Amino acid sequence: MIADVEALLAVIGMATVTYATRAGGVWLASFMTITPRTEAFLRSLSSSVLVALVVPAIVTGDAASIAAAAVAVGVMIVTRSAVAALTVAVVVAAAWRQAIGFMS
Amino acid sequence: MAEGGWRHADRVSWRGVRDGFRGMAPLAMFVIPFGIAFGAAAIDKGISPALALLMSALVFAGASQFSALDLWTSPLVIIPILLTTFAVNARHLLLGAALYPWLSAYPPRQRFAIVALLSDPNWALATKAYESGERDAGFLLGSGIILWIVWLVGTAIGALVGSDLGDLSRYGFDVLITVYFLTILISLWRGHDDVLPWLAAAGAAVIAAHLLTPGWYVVVGGLTGGIVGALRHDR
Repeated sequence: MIADVEALLAVIGMATVTYATRAGGVWLASFMTITPRTEAFLRSLSSSVLVALVVPAIVTGDAASIAAAAVAVGVMIVTRSAVAALTVAVVVAAAWRQAIGFMS
Repeated sequence: MAEGGWRHADRVSWRGVRDGFRGMAPLAMFVIPFGIAFGAAAIDKGISPALALLMSALVFAGASQFSALDLWTSPLVIIPILLTTFAVNARHLLLGAALYPWLSAYPPRQRFAIVALLSDPNWALATKAYESGERDAGFLLGSGIILWIVWLVGTAIGALVGSDLGDLSRYGFDVLITVYFLTILISLWRGHDDVLPWLAAAGAAVIAAHLLTPGWYVVVGGLTGGIVGALRHDR
């Protein structure tokens, strides 16, 4: 029973911390004066966060996930459809791993 | 509310919420396998299905929930779990800051309600929509609502069906997050102005991923790219 209370407290604590990260950025930015320079900062920040999420994942990924990412980029550029790119990526990654498993 | 010729919606409309919900829905379906993986992993750690669902409902941040499972011991030591949660979710601070020019049109209470369901996928989609002229922040909320629903549905399936599904990477689902962000990056590409900030962000993130504890490399990479973008603007 005590363990249950602790687990519940942990979940509530995690929720509080996570909401603070969601609201904190908006709150902190409200102290910034929006100038063309800070706007350039925030614009580059948006795309750079995605770059920072994606590149380490690709660099440390296995051959199957790198192949899936490469094919997905091609599909996205040609079709402009994220759903098509995601579907193809999953199929490529799964097929690649099945093939490796089959050969070894 | 129209400053500098910008068209701002000054309240969240049903139209915006609905457009966000619909725009996110096809991609949100890809979140279900992650929810299943989380639900199954939580049960493996001895967490009850009800508590796993509560965590998904209140925390709603997959990476930090998986990290918490790694630290879920008996007896529970809460402080390291909370610190790790902060580290893994610190990137939300940057997402929120990047949304500020948009959300500043709304009263603070609405701003802080809208960001309650802020996560990477709906932030990315909403940012893309904003670049194409969307000004109703209901879009961010609506796209968050559909993600929240599928995250709960996935968690529930995983918690009830359990680990019978086996390793999800066998089905290739682990590549989804990376590939989704790649597709958003392609649509955010604005030309050669992006090259230097993106290279700086990539380099800083890769180095930080080697040197720092999990989570922080996104913050380091994002800030580096933002600063390079601001410096380039000065010239």
